[in-house]
Amino acid sequence: MRLILLFAAFVVLGLAFQSAVPHLISFRALIPNLIIILVVDLGLRHHGVLPAMLAFAIGYATDALAGAHPGLNAFMMTMVFLVSYEISTRLMVTNALVGASVVFFGVIATALATVAFADGFNALADTGSMLGGLTLEAAVSALVAPLIFSMLAASKRMTGLPVRAMRE
Amino acid sequence: MRSSFLWRNRVLMTSAALLIVSLHLISTGVHPGDLAARPESAFLEIISPVDAAFTRLSDGASSIVTGYLDLLHVREENARLRNELARVKSDRARLAELEVENRHLGELLDLKDVLGANAVAANVIGSDATGLSRTLVLASGSSAGLRPGMAVLANQGVVGKIIAVSPHASRVLLIDDHNSALDGFDQRSRARGIVAGLVDDGLILKYADRSQDIRIGDTIVTSGLDGIFPRGLLVGTIKSVHHGGPGLFLGVRIEPTVDFRQLEQVLIVTQPPPHLDDQAKD
Repeated sequence: MRLILLFAAFVVLGLAFQSAVPHLISFRALIPNLIIILVVDLGLRHHGVLPAMLAFAIGYATDALAGAHPGLNAFMMTMVFLVSYEISTRLMVTNALVGASVVFFGVIATALATVAFADGFNALADTGSMLGGLTLEAAVSALVAPLIFSMLAASKRMTGLPVRAMRE
Repeated sequence: MRSSFLWRNRVLMTSAALLIVSLHLISTGVHPGDLAARPESAFLEIISPVDAAFTRLSDGASSIVTGYLDLLHVREENARLRNELARVKSDRARLAELEVENRHLGELLDLKDVLGANAVAANVIGSDATGLSRTLVLASGSSAGLRPGMAVLANQGVVGKIIAVSPHASRVLLIDDHNSALDGFDQRSRARGIVAGLVDDGLILKYADRSQDIRIGDTIVTSGLDGIFPRGLLVGTIKSVHHGGPGLFLGVRIEPTVDFRQLEQVLIVTQPPPHLDDQAKD
């Protein structure tokens, strides 16, 4: 329950930030994808059925404020959780650098997959002009990720939640 | 129990089930009144006040930064003059803001008069949370009579249509989103086509026949035949016409008349003019 409430608070603030800030910053690529960072943290540090369902719920909440295909962000966030979870079960150490790397590739992969899902794989041919901005957004997200991970870790400590996943 | 296959792979199994649920939602779509639409509406309702607060906060922060930069030039002056200057600037900025808002609302009122009484004004409080689609969040919802499928306009022209509502918020799919399409025509030559958005940002006129006379600078307006947008509303101007390449149709790029990033207030057509129904039947 504490995990749900903690992530719910972060998701509401993250989504509001990502929705409101583009009005101020003309260059969208400078705004980090906070939602992917939260889901990566879930996948790397929380192993269980509840975190998987939480990742899906985070994606579905994102669908309420992004995109035109309900379920698409839910699918993408579940995939990001699954990849993060698989990485964390196979690596000895899952530090901030690993998390930032997963965030970097996660932002690019989810964006391209979203375009392919929504418009078919032919639409990927038109994403050439997107890639520069997308790479920058991924880099900004990866740079911000350790800070968000630290904030999450501090919040978990305050609420008595485990900061790291139990090895399975 | 704990060593069983299902227990060991519970995360994978759960994720797989959730991926299937997601794919089902994507393939069938979520329609108003569906069970799946309720959580989405609830999320929109929960997040929209925070979104509006963030927008106000970010606007306030922007004003403070601008004010501070202005005040740097008068640093040498005494505190009384600085405070007075700040107060005057603040008042002037507020008055200017009110003036702009009044002008916007006046223009929307003029547009509302043209459309008849079946329109509702709403404030824009946010944009697409991922940036992969082009959508807006409005601070009005079903309690103000808004429903999915309604046309959204600005005084400069067409903005988009409503795709999701909650009691006090709604989302608009902009016409330059790659999932958007509306029926339009060239005001000069009457050449028709479908105005659609592109993945890599931009607006095109699809299915414009090669034999049609379309020139750079021509104005594209709504035809009213889609049953959503009233006829004759500005969509944009022709930016480029590409005659080469394979296929039956011209490659036509459009510059939208509305600057979607500058939108603060919009008008939603809650009931299309009666003549639209007749046109749609033709």
